[in-house]
Amino acid sequence: MTSVSRVLAVWLTPVALLAAPAALSTRAADGLWLGLTLTLVPLIVLGLQAGRSAAPVGAGRDERASLFPVVTLLLAVGVLLWANIALAGDVAVWLGAPRWQGIALTALAGWLLTAWSPLRRTAPLLLAIALVAAVAPLLQVGWAVGLGPIAAWDRVATQAAFRFPPASPWVTTGRSLATVHGRAPLVFDEVHRLTAPAGGVVRARTLDGNRLAEIEWGLAPGQSVTLRAGDELVPGAPVRLRFEADKRVPGAPASGMAWAEDPPRRWLDRLGLLVTLLVGAAALLRAGLTIRLSRDGAGFVAGGLLLAFVWAQAWAVYAMLRSPDLFLGGVAPAFLLVAGLAAFLASSVALRERLGALDPTGGGEIGRDPGLWAGLFGGAALASLWPVDPWALTLLALGGAGCALGPATLYPPSAGRAGLATTAGLVGLVVFATVAAVQLRGAGGALLGSVVGYPALAGAPAGALVLWLGRGRAG
Amino acid sequence: MRPVSPRSTGVVLLWLLLAGFLLLGALPNETASIRLAGLSVLWWYGGVLAPVMGALVAIRWLADPLPAPPRGE
Repeated sequence: MTSVSRVLAVWLTPVALLAAPAALSTRAADGLWLGLTLTLVPLIVLGLQAGRSAAPVGAGRDERASLFPVVTLLLAVGVLLWANIALAGDVAVWLGAPRWQGIALTALAGWLLTAWSPLRRTAPLLLAIALVAAVAPLLQVGWAVGLGPIAAWDRVATQAAFRFPPASPWVTTGRSLATVHGRAPLVFDEVHRLTAPAGGVVRARTLDGNRLAEIEWGLAPGQSVTLRAGDELVPGAPVRLRFEADKRVPGAPASGMAWAEDPPRRWLDRLGLLVTLLVGAAALLRAGLTIRLSRDGAGFVAGGLLLAFVWAQAWAVYAMLRSPDLFLGGVAPAFLLVAGLAAFLASSVALRERLGALDPTGGGEIGRDPGLWAGLFGGAALASLWPVDPWALTLLALGGAGCALGPATLYPPSAGRAGLATTAGLVGLVVFATVAAVQLRGAGGALLGSVVGYPALAGAPAGALVLWLGRGRAG
Repeated sequence: MRPVSPRSTGVVLLWLLLAGFLLLGALPNETASIRLAGLSVLWWYGGVLAPVMGALVAIRWLADPLPAPPRGE
């Protein structure tokens, strides 16, 4: 894992690459923060050097201590694969194919690439393919729109509202509600007639006085239902619906100005994202490794991250201009299919190398075990059959691995005290898992809400505290 | 006292670039939303200036020093 291209491939998985434009198109300021942290945090982590007396995570003769980071990273890699294969399933549904086909194709390709040794050094080539396949359609869209990126941004930011174009597939043929991005209900700002070309069951919460009442309609083929302002459509059902042209896209910002402004928000949420990505990057890119960056290498990593962020910004702005219906899901994934697959394969190879480099036997057997990787890809593919939010899974993987390995990587104990790193990692992981379990139960609140939303805000300090106390006692 | 290495300088600068975004968002009177040459101030900083500066900082300060000749590998 000394190759800088593998650093990029591990960090820039398809889910991470698409998270920035998705966030940018939802709310500009939040997307900028996500993109900026995704760009700068890996550089910070690579720049933080372990002290002279530091022991790498898992170093020492304590077998339990050396096994802990391996098992933790193995689980994290499994969840990252799950997130990316689930994204492939979403893309398949978006393209009108069965979900399992996208999952099977991606998982099989990923496993073959990691299992067949001649293909293991293909990460740089795959990254190059992903780059070309991602940039080419962007240039095409920019050319078709006829506006430079800044003029396009200005046009988006001055839109009075985001409305369905008449040629949108949501208007012409209709699309399945199962492809809607996220699980939040779609709130309507105006009267909107929805038609089910093939019939099906539509669930909505309608305003009854001041209360929302849940209603379910069984629609015959071609039958319509009308929702009023304030009504909420529950996504996730596999019913195909046609929306009306020139009506506001539910879930989109109220206007371009509302999209562009930075609303007052809890700074703790941004801190939570920063901490999650920081400890996650420490675990994924640095734990147990010494990466030496030449000036060319530093330039390659920084340039790659910068390019990815610039691409995300341009893609989000042009996509909003051309297809405001993207708020319902998908950033024109058909164009990005090749780029996404190439990025996934590069990530798979790099993640395998990453895990192999941490092998306690020193031989990298974990990275070469086809049975283990078949199990990982197979398990991830099976789990992906159920729709999940890929970005939430990625944050879970980064946060969990980060709380377990991040503090000891960024604040390493002295040589010969690998057990302290393991203890701190276990404490951080348990705290993270406890808060993440609370998150599943849907707890809210102001301060607590941010901590529950980003469990690494509690887990990482807990692990760091154990390290600090342990070092103090040793001193 | 440990000497300040070039890497430490780079890491501090990268932290400052991140902190700048949070500070810009916290400025009163929606200063971050002011438009300059087609983009908002926040977008100029978070989407253009900070990432470009971050890349330059990484190239200038994050690379390892060349190995000393007596200990050449």
